[in-house]
Amino acid sequence: MNTGTAGALAAYLLGLADDELILAHRDSEWTGHAPILEEDIAFSNLALDELGHAGLWYAAHAELLGENPQTRPDELAFLREPADFRNVQMVELPNGDWAFSMLRQYLFDAAEMVRLEALVNSRHKPTAETAAKIRQEERYHLRHTAAWVRRLGLGTEESHRRMQAALEMLFPYAEQLFQPQDGQAGLVDQGYIPSEQATVADWRGRVRQDLEGADLRLPEAAESPAASRAAHSEHLAQLLSEMQVVARSDRGAAW
Amino acid sequence: MSDTQWPRYQVFHQARPDRPHLNAGSVHAPDPELALLNARDVFVRRPPCVSLWVVQAADITGLTAEELAAGQWPERPAEPGRAEEPYLVFIKREARGTHEHCGEVQGSSPQQALQRAVREVKVSPALVYWVCPKRSVLASEPDQGPSLFGPAQDKPYRDQAFYHTDSLMRDIRRNDGQEPEGS
Repeated sequence: MNTGTAGALAAYLLGLADDELILAHRDSEWTGHAPILEEDIAFSNLALDELGHAGLWYAAHAELLGENPQTRPDELAFLREPADFRNVQMVELPNGDWAFSMLRQYLFDAAEMVRLEALVNSRHKPTAETAAKIRQEERYHLRHTAAWVRRLGLGTEESHRRMQAALEMLFPYAEQLFQPQDGQAGLVDQGYIPSEQATVADWRGRVRQDLEGADLRLPEAAESPAASRAAHSEHLAQLLSEMQVVARSDRGAAW
Repeated sequence: MSDTQWPRYQVFHQARPDRPHLNAGSVHAPDPELALLNARDVFVRRPPCVSLWVVQAADITGLTAEELAAGQWPERPAEPGRAEEPYLVFIKREARGTHEHCGEVQGSSPQQALQRAVREVKVSPALVYWVCPKRSVLASEPDQGPSLFGPAQDKPYRDQAFYHTDSLMRDIRRNDGQEPEGS
């Protein structure tokens, strides 16, 4: 793999890692606040899993750039400025209500699953192996969140109303997960990553089936509020200031 | 005020294919599918597990050794027209132990299933019997095993001692010029 390709693949993996990290942090904000004890534990588990996935992708990113895969992930998570993060805006939005958080997690899980199913065939072996490892856990996530989407969508008038409102808000944001980034076309051509056109078509088909099965109406196709992963809402800076404060106040501390 | 709590489900987990299912505890859930998922998250995120069963607690009929000795059988007569069906039998064998899957009997009512369990399932001592219709049990599918239980296998479980918090705190206090109390 030449340096240009390695750099492009590293940038792609950084996006995946940042999505997982920021979503993990938002999910973790439910710990101690979820509507019922069992689900509090389950959602905290999801947060931990996503954090683990972020760690795997950060390490793969570091390896590609010849950086230390042991220490670089912590630096990437705790010492970067908001403008250097490459997550989509969907994951940085505040949690809102339970319907919003659960639907966001579901839309993300479905997108992740589609992507992982393609990435397990990546020509880059470490990427393919990491994808295979994560996919096993993602199957469970998707089962859990799809089950909740169904129950909230078909539950009470209130739960349905909240789910529909969350869907109207989130659906355009979710489109950003599939915006091709600079340098990505070459990776697709060489068999390192799937094309976003194929991924988004597969994702739309799957979520349409689940959401309509939950009596939810898909909004008209809308443009994603942001195209570039370098653009962020004001919520990211607030999230990072809380997430990074301990690491930054005592750099190099032993954990 | 009506009870807003979800029903309770008993959870049975099997650590290895050659071991019986053991009662792990209970979870609340709105339905069996979510009970199974909750059971996974609450009880088997770390310990080895190959199979999970959940059954609504209300579908279980119990009998203690004291009740058996006193002839106090639970009043759970047959529903009219209910044919014989398989019941699972769980027995608690030690005071500090948990219920263990010990076999299966046929019955047309929980009461009849209990009577047959006492007669047919030879376990001694048997401190508490539980029976439930097999149809009430939701079991994890074997092909769900990898996604439900696989990820736990390669994750370390760390208790608080792993982080050496105590000695770290002592070091911090020492560096601040303060000896920890009692040292």
